[in-house]
Amino acid sequence: MLAISAFLALAASAATAAEPLRVGMELSYPPFEMTDPQGRPTGVSVRLAEALAKHLGRPLVIENIAFDGLIPALKTGRIDCIISSLTATPERSKSIAFSEPYLRTGLALLVGARSPVQSAADLDVKGRVIAVKKGTTGHRYATTALKQARTLVLDKENTAVLEVVQGKADAFIYDSLSVYQNQKRHADTTRAILEPFREETWAIGLRQGDEPLRGQVNEFLKAFRAAGGFERLGDEFLPEEKRAFRERGIPFYF
Amino acid sequence: MSRRLAHILVAAAFAALVAVAFSRVNYAWNWSAVWEYRDKFIQGWLTTVALSLAALVASTAIGAVASVCLQSRNVLVEAVGRVYVELIRGTPLLVQLLIGFYVIANAVGLENRFVVGVLVLSLFSGAYMAEIFRGGLAAIPQTQRDSARAIGLTPWQSLRLVILPQAVRLVLPAVAGQLVSLVKDSSLLSVIAISEFTLNAQEVNAVTYSTLESFLPLAAGYLVLTLPLSALSRWLEGRFRYEA
Repeated sequence: MLAISAFLALAASAATAAEPLRVGMELSYPPFEMTDPQGRPTGVSVRLAEALAKHLGRPLVIENIAFDGLIPALKTGRIDCIISSLTATPERSKSIAFSEPYLRTGLALLVGARSPVQSAADLDVKGRVIAVKKGTTGHRYATTALKQARTLVLDKENTAVLEVVQGKADAFIYDSLSVYQNQKRHADTTRAILEPFREETWAIGLRQGDEPLRGQVNEFLKAFRAAGGFERLGDEFLPEEKRAFRERGIPFYF
Repeated sequence: MSRRLAHILVAAAFAALVAVAFSRVNYAWNWSAVWEYRDKFIQGWLTTVALSLAALVASTAIGAVASVCLQSRNVLVEAVGRVYVELIRGTPLLVQLLIGFYVIANAVGLENRFVVGVLVLSLFSGAYMAEIFRGGLAAIPQTQRDSARAIGLTPWQSLRLVILPQAVRLVLPAVAGQLVSLVKDSSLLSVIAISEFTLNAQEVNAVTYSTLESFLPLAAGYLVLTLPLSALSRWLEGRFRYEA
């Protein structure tokens, strides 16, 4: 009996010494969260998670979870933090905590080539159809600020793009970087309105009350930025986008 | 103990077990956020009811036609039935929906996603129905048909008075199971942005982050649809018994 409890105590202390850092993300948002051809997680957020785990001296476990399931997973304790291009919003702050922001971007529009839409305000008209991805800030914006239009809620980014390409939706509301990339892929059928109508910042999502980890994460972000870590990630994963966005004066920077 | 009482007791015991499990989850319940979105649940549920009813009728009709094709002596007609059944049963409904809506319906200019959704769902379920119907007819022994002819029934009378009443009784449980599946499979129509029950519950979850509070009403809403289907099937089984 004694031996068993001693063993359990030992196991428990060993577990806390190297407790893995479980990071949740949805691996379908290149180049931030994606998988390489061998199926391994890679991308900006994965590198960031690796650096964070190294900073904390803990092994890293990446949990691939659908975007709208990330916050519930964090709240129920399945993961320790979210690094998944997550926008810090007041609504989300009611249920989770955020680190200091690490990236600045904004919402943009992917519109059909023949659509008359020139701005987000043009969408707030009866008969307009807006495609959004479920649970994103674009979804939230469409349902709260563009009430006149009909909103199509889709599970995947690529079907939302298809809705615009095929002219079934007037616009897809998403972040400016994804809009830029999708427009290039469908140059004949779409236009990009990149001028952000709403600026946003991305941050690491944490459990409310988990102040120790929040302090460590903020400390890490500061050190990582000072060491030029974000610049290197930008140059490695988004060299062309970085240049294009700087030329047009559109905010997208770490 | 009556059968009904036994059902109620077992269901209550199961509910108590689930309640205990839920009480042990470390979870901050927040029903008020979900209550705020009750209209969304109701509207989604009604859409699911409409989708299911339409697909229920259409898939039964498609299944009947396809099962006739499967038993046809004309090799070409039989081939059409066989290719349809194997193609549909062998591929995921998700893929059929995406290709059906974004490729085929787009090519023929069919823009109404509700219609396309019901069509794809009915074709999907119809393939299973076809095999259920075929199996039911095949299970009637040849001696029945021979006897019917011996007492002077025409082929049509034989089918209507001898074969079908027995076949219906045989296929009812399987058909009821298939229809229950169909009701639940309709949740996949959310991938083509049909605002049905599951999608609306997921949206409420996405906005309120109240996962369990969003999904428990979802389970209840589907049970309200599927339990009467099972009850109806059992009642019909009773009506089609030999004695009746």
